[in-house]
Amino acid sequence: MNNKINLSQLAEMLAQVGGMSKTASEQFVKTFFDIISQGVLSEGLVKVKGLGTFKLLQMEDRESINVNTGERFTIEGHQKISFTPDAELKERINKPFSAFETVVISEEQAEQLGDDIETSYSEDPTADDVEPKVEPQVKDVTQKRITRVFLKFIVWILSIILLLGIAGYLFWPVIGSQVMDILNLKRFEKADVTVTTRQNPVVTVKDIESENRVAEEPVKPVEEAVQQPEATVQTVAPESEPAVKPEPAVKENVKQTKENVQFVALTKEDQAKSLASFTEADTVNYKVTGLLAVHTVQEGETLTKLALKYYGTKKLWPYLALYNDMKSINNMNTGCEIKIPKLAAK
Amino acid sequence: MNNKQFLTELSGKCQMSAESTAQQVQTLIGVMEDLWSKGDSVSLSGFGVLEVKKKNERVSVNPTTGIRMLVPPKLVLTYKPSSLLKDKLK
Repeated sequence: MNNKINLSQLAEMLAQVGGMSKTASEQFVKTFFDIISQGVLSEGLVKVKGLGTFKLLQMEDRESINVNTGERFTIEGHQKISFTPDAELKERINKPFSAFETVVISEEQAEQLGDDIETSYSEDPTADDVEPKVEPQVKDVTQKRITRVFLKFIVWILSIILLLGIAGYLFWPVIGSQVMDILNLKRFEKADVTVTTRQNPVVTVKDIESENRVAEEPVKPVEEAVQQPEATVQTVAPESEPAVKPEPAVKENVKQTKENVQFVALTKEDQAKSLASFTEADTVNYKVTGLLAVHTVQEGETLTKLALKYYGTKKLWPYLALYNDMKSINNMNTGCEIKIPKLAAK
Repeated sequence: MNNKQFLTELSGKCQMSAESTAQQVQTLIGVMEDLWSKGDSVSLSGFGVLEVKKKNERVSVNPTTGIRMLVPPKLVLTYKPSSLLKDKLK
């Protein structure tokens, strides 16, 4: 391996194989190469079958730049001998690597491999070499991917928080009133309760209607609650009396006015009260049509309790406050009279 | 100078028949080929060095289509003229 074979060694080998004397073979080898070199010099081309072609090439002047100083200089034209091995010989010599074939690299692979595949390659030509070179870049790619996913995740969380915040702000009147009801309105001390309760629900319902596709979940119960009374009205209206029967208190009202449908709806609501969670959206779906009763407030009674008593749902208490022009809920003392309005669905 | 001319000149100089010259040439090439396949280089004073070199694999780009090709590594027989021969060149 990697030995330099000189003329005499080569002649010795030829003598062994070719059956010539050592001196004769040495002479032969010497002449062989002499003729080639002389032939190249004199004729410019020597073809030896089984070995290849030696050619004399004329190189033109060319300009170059000194890499260190940056100076331009001309490389003068010269001659050079080129050697092209015979095709068969070439093939035989390349036999160890003949299994390899030129492969078209796809764009993805090319990007991953980058340019350093061309420049930095170690001695071993096998394909195994490709992988260690590629690995760091693959790692880079995965790292980038991970950070990208992480950033997306953070953005998602932030947007979800933002959405929740907006939803909370929009539905605060709805949720807030429930919370206030639970707290029995004791902390609800704003003087302009009637104003807020009257205006906010209107806004929220509009918002809900316009945005019900955007934020589906919180809206659904609202829609159900809103639609439920109407639905029952439609189904019950033709045969209202049998439906009313179980509620004697309401029965009178049914006979008296045309608004029986409304009350059937209300009683239905009352029945469904434990099941369906009502929202403040109910409170804006009614209008006052007259006086239903006058109630003298007893010890411990609140507007919500009255609303529950007369309408079957405590959600309608704002109508009481509105109808009685109450500036504050705290004004309701024991013994004072509260007018109960008749409500009809809008 | 083609192969025929080369052989006639060689046979004339070595005073051998054309047939045996052609045979000997092929034997010589065969011997050298064995050396090259072993990794040895043939160095002849006044002529140069004939040796097998490994060309690394590389990515070549077709300039017109832009297609990248991975050219496999290969073993190539190279010739480097000796300085004596080079001096005779212009």
